[in-house]
Amino acid sequence: MVEHVTIIMIEDDEGHARLIEKNIRRAGVNNEIVAFRDGTSAVNFLFGADGSGRESSGRALLVLLDLNLPDMTGVEILGRIKQNEHLKRSPVVVLTTTDDKVEIQRCYDLGANVYVTKPVNYENFANAIRQLGLFFSVIQVPETD
Amino acid sequence: MTATLTQTAPRPWAHRLATPGPTLLLLLGFAILVAISASSITLIHRARSDAESVAHTLRVMNAVSQLQVLIRRTESAERGYLITGREGFARFYEQSKAQTGPTLEQIATLITDNPEQQQRLAEARTLIAERLASYEQSMALRTAGDLEGAVADLRADRTEGAMTRLGTLLVEMKAAETELLDERTDASHDSTVWLTVVSLAGLAVVLALGALALTLNRRQIDALKAAQRELEAANQGLEKRVAERTADLKEANDEIQSFAYIVSHDLRSPLVNIMGFTSEIEAMRGDLFERLAQLRAQAGDAPEADAELAADFEEALGFIKTSITRMDRLIHAILALSREGRKEFVPVDVDMGQLFANLRDSMTHQLHEAGGEIAIKRLPVIQSDRLALEQIFTNLLDNAFKYRRDDVPLRVEVSAVDTPGFVTFVIQDNGRGIDPKDRGRVFELFRRSGRQDRPGEGIGLAHVRALVRRMGGLISLDSKLGEGSTFKVTVPRRLPTETGKKDHG
Repeated sequence: MVEHVTIIMIEDDEGHARLIEKNIRRAGVNNEIVAFRDGTSAVNFLFGADGSGRESSGRALLVLLDLNLPDMTGVEILGRIKQNEHLKRSPVVVLTTTDDKVEIQRCYDLGANVYVTKPVNYENFANAIRQLGLFFSVIQVPETD
Repeated sequence: MTATLTQTAPRPWAHRLATPGPTLLLLLGFAILVAISASSITLIHRARSDAESVAHTLRVMNAVSQLQVLIRRTESAERGYLITGREGFARFYEQSKAQTGPTLEQIATLITDNPEQQQRLAEARTLIAERLASYEQSMALRTAGDLEGAVADLRADRTEGAMTRLGTLLVEMKAAETELLDERTDASHDSTVWLTVVSLAGLAVVLALGALALTLNRRQIDALKAAQRELEAANQGLEKRVAERTADLKEANDEIQSFAYIVSHDLRSPLVNIMGFTSEIEAMRGDLFERLAQLRAQAGDAPEADAELAADFEEALGFIKTSITRMDRLIHAILALSREGRKEFVPVDVDMGQLFANLRDSMTHQLHEAGGEIAIKRLPVIQSDRLALEQIFTNLLDNAFKYRRDDVPLRVEVSAVDTPGFVTFVIQDNGRGIDPKDRGRVFELFRRSGRQDRPGEGIGLAHVRALVRRMGGLISLDSKLGEGSTFKVTVPRRLPTETGKKDHG
């Protein structure tokens, strides 16, 4: 992954956020990771104060999204990203505990690029994240318009 | 709808039905009829005796009149003879005289019951005898040709007083009899009147009783009808309540399931952290001990000094990790169970014999290794959810295999008992058996029984029971420790199709 790609991590659980970051780093991904602990601040960052998303134009972003957020659902954020003119091409990786069939379908319908379930078993979890990190290292992220 | 519910309140039906029964009224009516009949018979009897008395009186009067006539006849015969001296008059006299005796006797027999009349008769008898003697004396004179003497005798002897007295007596006798006749006629009349009155009164009472009985009967029928209506209403209310309760239960059940789902879901999140950071600590421990070993090497210490500390670390981390793994499995189990509870049943025709044969086939390898066998008797085809049935019986057969006795080859027998609407599947094994005190417990989530030498979380039977219950059936256990267990699964022959339930899981 090109150096200037920023990873936006929207994850309410601080522990999870730390573990995810650690394992992504272990995969050799050194890109900047910006973490948000709730939906509102993440949305503000992505879409700007006016909600247009113009602020994100020119950035190269990869979004790591948890679905269970305290103030809004990750599905809502996903929908907004994929409908926004400036952000719709940014890859969104849904990383959540839910392995509900309906939920997974909904996310892909809305345009999610990858859906990963967090395994409780730490080895599996670490593995999954590390592989995700490896995936990040080869993925091409377009700059937003 | 509230009206039907208020009607179901208990009412003192029994009290209302306990009014004087028709039996009592019937008995009363009969008693009155018997009384009327008895009094009628008595009165009729009395009327008859009254009539007889009247006839008797009339006979007496008749006889007395006859006597009067006879006396007059003797008198006129005597006079005829005295005047004409013809034999014809003498014969006529003799004839009439001959009749007076029997007539007197007749009267005497008729009036034996009346002393007053007897007295009068006795007096009359004397007077008549006197009169006849006097007549005969005159007639004897006439026969002798002494007409003058006879006439003189007639003139001399004719004491009109005696004759008058006799007339008076006879009139008195007749008058007495007339009086008696009147009395008896009155009595007879009274009897008739009484008879009529009693009969009418009896009739009225019987009619009244009949009407009363009819009314009571009607009222009783009304009460019965009302009771029946109330019962019907109560039944309807009951059915409605059962439906409401069922709906409530279903709702509560759904709530518990979604609760279980949410809880187990949210429990996984912190668990990921615990597990993750424990693993991080483990990794750090490696670095730490490496660093420590280097430092000790630099200081010239023996590296073995930290072995104890390392072992403590190892133990603590080991406990934490096994606990987390266990917790994770339990959460998984709850999640799976709640998902099962949300899954909609799809009733199809299921050949149970085939289903069990398939299950046995999937266990062939294990059975062969352990030297066990599963015997399947004739089983019916039922209309039910195939997946649920497979899960139920896989669990039961797995349990039978898991908890077999080591020294006895496993033998499981599967049979079925048909009951109306339901089929009971009997799975009998010769395994370890279950302690009687644990028979309820084994169906509870996370509970197990006996030696804990087989892997498992205590989920299988809880899952089985949940499924069987959802199908509207029941499961029971019969077991002898050390001899084997028998599970009986009763499920509806036709599983009703569920509506309004969607799969969220």
